[in-house]
This record gives sequence, C-alpha cells and structure tokens, in this order.
Amino acid sequence: MGQGTPGGLNRQLPDRKNDGDKKEKKFEPAAPPARVGRKQRKQKGPDAAARIPTVTPLTKCKLRFLKLERIKDYLLMEEEFVANQERLKPQEEKTEEDRSKVDDLRGSPMSVGNLEELIDENHAIVSSSVGPEYYVGILSFVDKDQLEPGCAILMHNKVLSVVGLLQDDVDPMVSVMKVEKAPLESYADIGGLDAQIQEIKEAVELPLTHPELYEDIGIKPPKGVILYGEPGTGKTLLAKAVANSTSATFLRVVGSELIQKYLGDGPKLVRELFRVADDLSPSIVFIDEIDAVGTKRYDAHSGGEREIQRTMLELLNQLDGFDSRGDVKVILATNKIESLDPALLRPGRIDRKIEFPLPDIKTKRRIFQIHTSRMTLSDDVNLEEFVMTKDEFSGADIKAICTEAGLHALRERRMKVTHADFKKAKDKVMFKKKEGVPEGLYM
Amino acid sequence: MAPAEPNSSGGAAATKDPAPVKVPSKDPKKKDDKKDEDLSEEDLALKQQLELYVERVQDPDPGLQKVALESMRQEIRMATSSMTSVPKPLKFLRPHYGTLQAHYENMVDSDLKKLLADILSVLALTMSPEGERESLKYRLLGSDGDIGSWGHEYVRNLAGEISQEYAKRQSEEGPIDDLMDLVVQIVAFHMKHNAEPEAVDLLMEVEDLDLLVEHVDSTNYKRTCLYLTSSAKYLPGPDDMLVLDIAHSIYMKFNEYPRALQIALYLDNFQYVKELFKICKDRQKRQQFCFILARHGVPFELDDETFPEDEEREAFQDIINNNKLNEGYLTLARDIEVMEPKSPEDIYKAHLLDGRGSGGSAVDSARQNLAATFVNAFVNAGFGQDKLMTVPSEVSSGGSSSSWLFKNKEHGKASAAASLGMILLWDVDSGLAQLDKYFHSTDTHVVAGALLGVGIVNCNVQNECDPALALLAEYVDKDDSAIKIGAIMGLGLAYAGAQNEHVRVLLMQILGDGKSSLDVIAFTAISLGLVFVGSCNEDIAQAIIIALMDRSEAELGDPLARFLPLGLGLLYLGKQDSVEATAEVSKTFNEKIRKHCDMTLLACAYAGTGNVLKVQHFLGQCAQHLDKGEAYQGQAVLGIAMVAMAEDLGLEMAIRSLEHLLQYGEQNIRRAVPLALGLLCISNPKVNVMDTLSRLSHDADSEVAMAAIISLGLIGSGTNNARIAGMLRNLSSYYYKDASLLFCVRIAQGLVHLGKGLLTLSPYHSERSLLSPTALAGLGVMLHACLGMKAIILGEISLCSIFPYTGHAAKNVDDSRRKPETSVSTGSCGSSS
Repeated sequence: MGQGTPGGLNRQLPDRKNDGDKKEKKFEPAAPPARVGRKQRKQKGPDAAARIPTVTPLTKCKLRFLKLERIKDYLLMEEEFVANQERLKPQEEKTEEDRSKVDDLRGSPMSVGNLEELIDENHAIVSSSVGPEYYVGILSFVDKDQLEPGCAILMHNKVLSVVGLLQDDVDPMVSVMKVEKAPLESYADIGGLDAQIQEIKEAVELPLTHPELYEDIGIKPPKGVILYGEPGTGKTLLAKAVANSTSATFLRVVGSELIQKYLGDGPKLVRELFRVADDLSPSIVFIDEIDAVGTKRYDAHSGGEREIQRTMLELLNQLDGFDSRGDVKVILATNKIESLDPALLRPGRIDRKIEFPLPDIKTKRRIFQIHTSRMTLSDDVNLEEFVMTKDEFSGADIKAICTEAGLHALRERRMKVTHADFKKAKDKVMFKKKEGVPEGLYM
Repeated sequence: MAPAEPNSSGGAAATKDPAPVKVPSKDPKKKDDKKDEDLSEEDLALKQQLELYVERVQDPDPGLQKVALESMRQEIRMATSSMTSVPKPLKFLRPHYGTLQAHYENMVDSDLKKLLADILSVLALTMSPEGERESLKYRLLGSDGDIGSWGHEYVRNLAGEISQEYAKRQSEEGPIDDLMDLVVQIVAFHMKHNAEPEAVDLLMEVEDLDLLVEHVDSTNYKRTCLYLTSSAKYLPGPDDMLVLDIAHSIYMKFNEYPRALQIALYLDNFQYVKELFKICKDRQKRQQFCFILARHGVPFELDDETFPEDEEREAFQDIINNNKLNEGYLTLARDIEVMEPKSPEDIYKAHLLDGRGSGGSAVDSARQNLAATFVNAFVNAGFGQDKLMTVPSEVSSGGSSSSWLFKNKEHGKASAAASLGMILLWDVDSGLAQLDKYFHSTDTHVVAGALLGVGIVNCNVQNECDPALALLAEYVDKDDSAIKIGAIMGLGLAYAGAQNEHVRVLLMQILGDGKSSLDVIAFTAISLGLVFVGSCNEDIAQAIIIALMDRSEAELGDPLARFLPLGLGLLYLGKQDSVEATAEVSKTFNEKIRKHCDMTLLACAYAGTGNVLKVQHFLGQCAQHLDKGEAYQGQAVLGIAMVAMAEDLGLEMAIRSLEHLLQYGEQNIRRAVPLALGLLCISNPKVNVMDTLSRLSHDADSEVAMAAIISLGLIGSGTNNARIAGMLRNLSSYYYKDASLLFCVRIAQGLVHLGKGLLTLSPYHSERSLLSPTALAGLGVMLHACLGMKAIILGEISLCSIFPYTGHAAKNVDDSRRKPETSVSTGSCGSSS
C-alpha cells in the first residue's frame, strides 16, 4: 500500500483543455459514471485496451513470428508517434502544473479511510478507522469508475472529502505468500524421485515455459498436481526445488493459514490468493498440508467446522470454477490423501496425483550421499550397511541419522564422524520412530 | 541462489543437466571413480558400452567397426526419454564427439564412413556450436536413409539448418540441388506427422512452395491451407499472392471448390472463377458459387460454354444478380418470426428511462419526425412493411403514408420518400410500383427522394431490364439541382460495383459540364466512384481530376469538395500500387485540397490490406501540428482504420494507436477517432471499444460526442446489442435538450436495430476472409460525410439525409441449400437534396 495514484487524472486532462476553447458553453453536469459500486474485474476497461493481443498459434512457426513482427511494427510506430508528440508539445510542464494544483486541493496530510457507500455521483459515505461515518463529497478529479464500496481512499484532513484512492488493494496476507527469495534447494538436492520430478515438470513447469508442446499434441495441460506420501519423503522439498528453478511467480501457503478467525475471511483469502496469482501469471500456487482445509465434508456441528468447509468450497471453485484461470498451476501437498474430499481430487481440478513412496535402496544410497557429502567422515564409515538395512527410512529419517551422528561426534570433540556414531544415531532415530513416540502422534 | 531458467526440452537441457557437466575429464579411470557416485548401474553399463563402441569404431578391422557402428546406432534409436531431458546415449557420447570427428576425417570412403557420418550428424544435434551447421554437413555426407528414424527433434533441427544454409548459398549463388533432395524428404516426413506448419515454413524458407502440392493428402490439406491462408495476411507482397496461389491449387486438387473460389475472389482472379465453373459440374455446388459471388457483390457473367442449358444459366445468373434476394430475406424473417413491423417507439423504449425528459418535448418536431423516419427505415429495412410509410391510406385516415411524408419539412420529405426505398430494399417490382406515385408530385423534394429511393431499392440487385436506369436517366438532365442529385445518387447506389457503361456516359456528361454546381459535381463523383469501384478506370479518373482543377479556391474549401477526391479514391479501392500515377497528378492540385486528396487516395487504395507502412505514413501525418483551417488529418485517421481493418492483430493494435491519437491529437483528429473506431469494429461490438466510445460520447466537444454516438451505432449495427441499446437510451435522456445530439442518438438507435438484427454493415464476409468492395466503398462515403458532421449531416446547406444503403446480401448456403439462410449486410450513404 501507499503508492496511491490519483484516479482519473490523466483522463481528465484533455477535457480540461477543451474547456478553454469552449468558454461560452454552459455548464454541463459531468458524465455519470458508467457503473456505480460493483466490483470490477481487473482486466476490463482501460487496462484491457493497453494489453497486447494474444498471438495464436502457440507453436513456434513462421506464422507466429510474422504476427509478433506485426505487433512489434505497430508498437514501434506508437513509440515513434508518442516520442514525436512529446518533442513537439512537451506535456510534462503542464502535467506538473496540474499535479501541483491537485496536490494543493488535496491538502496534506491526507487521512486514510474506507469507502462505505456511494450515494450519488458526487457524494459518498466514508469512515475512518477511528470512529464515526461521514457523508462527504467526492472531488471531481477522482476517477469514479474505480471507486467501489469497501476500497481504501484518501480523505482531506479537514473536510474529509474523498481526494484520491489507494489502488494497491492486494491483501497484505497474500503478498506475504509470494516467494521473493528462491529457496536454496534445487533438483540436484533431491535423491532419487526421478519419476516424480519428471511428472511435476511435465505438469507444472512445461505448460508455463513451452505451451506449444501441448497445443501441438492437442491436449490441455494439467491444471494442478497433488503430492502425497509418507511423512518425510520429500514433498515439500520437491516444491522448493520447483520454486528454485522456475522463473514464474511462486506463491506458497500452508493449509492452516487459510483458516481465519472471522466468518468469510478464509474464503476471501483464497479468492484473493488466486486473483493475485492470476495478476502475476504465469504463476505457481503451492498449498502445503492441504488436509487442514480439504478433509471430507460431513455434518458439521460447530461454526468453525462449517467455516473450514466453506473455505474448501471456495478452493474447489477456484481450482475449477466458472472463471477460467490462465497460467496458474497448483501444487498441493498432503500426507493423508485418503482423508481429502473426493471433489478436490477429481480430474480437472487436480489432474495428477504423484505418490512419494519411502525410498528404495538406490534412493537411500543417493540420499545418504547427499547428506554426507559435506560431512567429514572417517575412513571406517561404511554407509552401505545402513543403506542395505531392512528398516523403513524416509528421507527425513536419513537426514536425522546424519545429523545425529554429527552431534555425537561433536559431543566427543572429534573432527571426524565414525561408523560407530552412525550406528548409535541410527538406533536412536529408529527407537524414537518405533517406540519412543506414540504412533498416533507421528501419523 | 537466483531462480535459474527451468530446464527445457531437447538440446537446451543438455547444457544444463548437472550430470554431463562433470563428464568431460579425459581420463576414463578418474571418471569412473566419480561415476560410481553419480550414476545408477544401468547408466554406468550403458556408458561403458558406448565407450567401448567408440574405441571399436577406431579399430582398424572394418568388421568390428561395422558392428560397433550398428550397435551404436541401435542404442541411439532405442533411447526413449521424457520431454525434459536429453537421451542418455547422446549424453554419454558427448565427450567422444571430437574423437569420432577426427576419426571420420581419416577414414577411407566406404559405407562405414557414411554410417559414421549419420551418427555424427545426430550427435551434432547437441554438440555443434551455433551456426556451424555440422548436423547438416554430416547428413549430406552420410547415407540417404529414412530421415524420420532419428526422431522429430533431429528433423526439426535439420530443417532449421537447411534454411540457414540456403540463405548462405543463395547469396553466394552456390548450387542447391543436394539441399533440395533433403528438403523433399523432410517435407514428406512433416506432412505425414501432423506438422504441416513446419513443412510450409521450410518450403517458404527455400522458396519452393510448389513442392507442397505433391505432398498434401486428403487428411492434412485443410490444416495446410488454413496455415497458408492465415500466413498470407502477414507476408510481404508478392509472397502473399504466391502463397494464396498454392493454397488455391491445393483446394482445387482436393475438390474443395467453395474455398478455392474464396481465394480466387481474394486474389481478384476471375480466370480462376471461370475455370472453377468449368471444372465443377455439380449443380448444387455451382449454385453455392453463385451465392458467394452474389455476396461478394461483383458483376459476373455466366457464359454459354459452361452452362449449355439456358434455363439453368438464367437461374444461376439470377442468383448472382441478387434477384431473389428479397424472397430469401423474407423467408428467413418469417422463419424466425420477425415479420411484424416495428415503430420507432419500439426502439426508443422510452418507458425504460426514468425521470427527466424522456418525452423530449424540447426538440423541434420536424427533426424529431426526421429521426423517426430514419429509425423506421433502418429497423424495417427490406421487410416491405412498416407502421409509418406503407400503411395503406384508406385504413387510417389520419396517419396515412402520404400524411407522414408531409409531416416532414423540405429535406425531410426527400428523406421520407427515400426511406420507402429502404423499407422495400431489393424488392424491385413492388418497390418501384410503390415509389411511382411520388414521381408525379409537384414538390421537388419528394421527387428527389423518390429517385433516391429507386436507387436504394435496386441496390446490389441487377435486373436485366435495367428499370433504374430507364427511370432515372430522364431526371438526370432536369434543371432542378435537388432532382438532379437525387437521380445521380440513385444511379450510383443502384449500380454500385456494376461498372455499367451507360451510367458512365450519362454521369461523365455532367462531370464535364462546366456549369454544374459544386454539389452536383460532388455527388456525380461519388456515384461514379461507387459504380466503378476498384476498377482503376482511367477516363473517369481523368474527368474527376479535371473537374477538381476547374473549381475555384473558395469552392474547394467547401466540405462538399471532399467528395471529389473520395470519388477518385473509390476508383482505386484496394488496388494498392495502381494509384501511384493518380497520386502524382494530385500533387499539382490547389494546396487547399492537395493534402486532403493525397490522404484519401492512399486510404482507399490500401484499404483492407493491413499495410503497416501506410499506417505509419498516416500516423506520421497525424503527428504534425497544423495551423487552423487545415483538416486533412481526419482523413488520415480514417485511413488508419481503413488500412488496418484487414486482420485481427492490426485491428487491435490500431485501436491502441487511436487511443494515443486521442490523447495527443488536436481537435480535428479527436473528431475522426471515434469514426475510425466505428469502422474498425463495424458490426462487432467489442467491449473495450464500446467503453471508449461511451466515454467519448460525453465529450465536451459536441462534434466528438456526435461522432462517438454514431460510431456506437456503427459498432452495434444490426446486432441488437442490449448493452449498446442501453447506453444509447441513457444518452437520449442525457442529451434530451440538445436537438442535434439527440438526432444522432436516434440514428444510432436505428442502426443498432438495423433490419431487426438481420442485416449487418460489415464489409467482411466468409469468415472475415473476403472484403466486399462495394460495401466498403459505401461505408467510406458515409464516414467521410460524418467527418464534416455539422456541415453535411446536420446543417441545412444542401442535404438532409445520410440515407444509406447499398445493400448487400450474404447468403450463406448450407450444403443442402434448400433454405438459403440470408444474413445481409448493408452499408453506406447516399444523400439527396
């Protein structure tokens, strides 16, 4: 928030110039706004006009090339035209002048308020965070098309009239979800899971980078995938690797974040999440621990449960609802796929289910290699012994063993980790896994 | 770590995959140690196997060599992989590429050498540095085996290298025979594997599209031709003609005659059309051709040779001449039950407006009545019955047809009489009978209107008896200028596109007559332009130029003088370069009209071509800031729309450019922008354009607002679009005090409900592939008239009506074609005085 641009300033400029020519013309009421108070979709209006037309086919071919060339030609012409105009008739001074005039009118400081209701073309009911609601005027330079009930507005500090609006209306909750810094884990850090990596690449990355491949073959790319499997088998790790390697926007949420205190906040957050994803497309949405919201529906008794179910219903709608999502891919992760609602998993919403099994021997070896590659091991360490055991290790267990072994070495002030360390660590980890902890807690 | 580019398919992945990066160490021992960590057992085995092969290949024993090469080839071919990575054998052979290459150089010529060349060629796919084209080099040296056996990616890569090599050899004038052999193979492969665009691309690169005809078959010709035709719009000339020619011959080969006809019409090649009639003997298909020709609105004579039976020929000629158009139209109207005539009030729907001024009492009633006349004519166009004009006089004593006529003032009467022609559109026999009574009127305006009405009735219909010519010819020589103009415009509309010799002689006389007043001359020029649209007729061009030069400077300043260059421009509509000579001549004109003439000629000549250079030229003109009094920039803005309307991309980008014009332009440019938008999206209510126009319809400058309102009508013309209708209703209450704006709103409302939604103004037909020249000409005239909105349409100078309508009927005939589904288009503007 905070970069509020004065709505409708640009549009007003040419009109004002005409007023000079037509002094004799009697006052006319300003045009009524095309629409009052309905939620407007982002793509419509002047934004849509500024968009460049989509070019089909997606396949790399000469026709596409020619079409793109054509668009480039037109853009070059526009550039030339605008540059010419700016040179002939610099608008900056004028704009500057108008801007300072507008700034005078707005006063300083401006208070931030909330638009409660639009009464007519020039009046509205507003409220500020502190207290009562006011019936105030809207200044003429505010773009009324963009005003809608519930949006954040700037108010004059004394008369409280609406002097501008804050446009960046992205929920701060959602902007936090955006992964700004790519995680360090890459595909190379994943032991084994070759098939899983390939599947997720095909379903998530390739449709964003090479849509033409899917068009060639004549299919719609999958919309989303779900990763499921035992705890510690690398679901989240793989998602991190995807985030690391992709240049698309990566949004990550944990299922529990979608559960909010107030009624309707959860579904709203889901809507907001997907709207942001659409705005920033191509993008990938990763929802970890989806079972927090996505469990099977049943007769709920408490309001809280019903709210969770409503949140899931909104999620269902966003995944495959009436509005098509563009280049937004969804990755879900859970370790209890059997408890999820079948509607969530139907093809069309989630097209691919990728299972993460416990590692086999080959994979175990690879995971051990990855984790021990930075450790200083003494010569007697024989990892094969652990690799070949019949115990069911997950990737996370192996990591725990390695860490535990390292800690052992540290405790005894050795610089090298010995085989004995590993053995002890393994016993400890397996003990914890099998007996030390009640089964239910881990599941 | 910054997010890296995601790994992609094929070659690109090779360089990024972590595994091969570690490989290149030369010492195999060392490598093996490392390998143990990185590779699974199968991979390791494969790797060692391949290394063995590489060593064996260098073995002196040819037998061993052969075995090694064969098995190496096996390995490569067997390798399957996902889209996301490089096949393993290729990955492992990378370090040995150099060795194999060196060995190849030392080998003696033999089959083995060729075999090795094949393998090297495949390896080069991932190995050879950019621009070296080694893959192609080894392919040419290797054996001529089946090209597809190495996979798509290989073929694709090869195709790319061939086009580079071809370009290089072209510049060096080297021989290209060996390349062409390969091209034939690749094209055959692509065509078999659903990759028609790639085949076409390759052939375009090597400039040998003729090859395509041999390789298409019944399964893929549709896709191929679709690709060819859509490419043609974006190719620079003369390539586009060449491409379309190929598409035509492919369609002919597969007996897809209607499509072939469309392309022939696009190419303007009547030789092809004639051939088509000769080849195709199927009666129903022939009938369909006739419908397409009729829709396109070009005159075409069927000859005895192809149609030995008189009866059949006449029937078909009737179709081409649109004689049955009215019947078909009425049948359609009956089928969908819209025969019931509507009154203007049904359109205004004033009851939906709340509150103020819906009654519109402030407007002077003559204007109001005139508006009602127009709306009535637009809505009931072609239906032959309405509630104002054709009500039999004996039924209602007060509201009889003649009394409505006389409710209008002067020019209004002319419009009202002419509107009868509109209502009876295409119905020549009864239309003329109904109009006949007005000829005997003593009021010159009524006579003039009736004459114009005759023209409208005959619009786009060719009758063998030429009733229009017979009726109108005698009035052309009358002294009264109103009647004269009525007759002239009547001729122009009735014979639009017909290139009729009699009309030419008749009108040329008037043009040559030094005593004629400017308005007569102007409308004569327009009529000639309409009749001889796109004919490049030198005589007429000469005559118009002379007429232009004869005019005094004061007369040239008159808005009507703009019609002269427009008439000239219509002669060259869509003819591109042929306009050059005339454009040169126009440079010698009086400076008042010179620029203006230049713009109009260019706009017409390149209309519907999508020529980017011309758009740039027009934009350049708009970029200049002029002194007061010069107004040619409006023509330039319309020119952008006329040129760019050809294809979708240009259209959208032109809309963007117009936004800029709106932002920076002077008043005269701003006035033309809404009209240009209206032309670009004619009968195509795009939401964003609608929004822009709606915004402009409240503009402070009333001329901009008027143009925007009319354009709202244009983009919604014949669509019954509820959103536009709603906007216009709101505008009608917003402008209820302003008579001229309200008049525009009413006309726009009429346009939106044109023919109760059965007619369209769009000059494009056949899936936006063909442009009907007469329809475009009509639109052009109307828009230019709108440019001088105040003077021509609203002012009482000499005209009153923007009475349109060179009608055009599109008949989309389905294959059973028993019921010609008639969707109809109309466009344009005549005017009378």
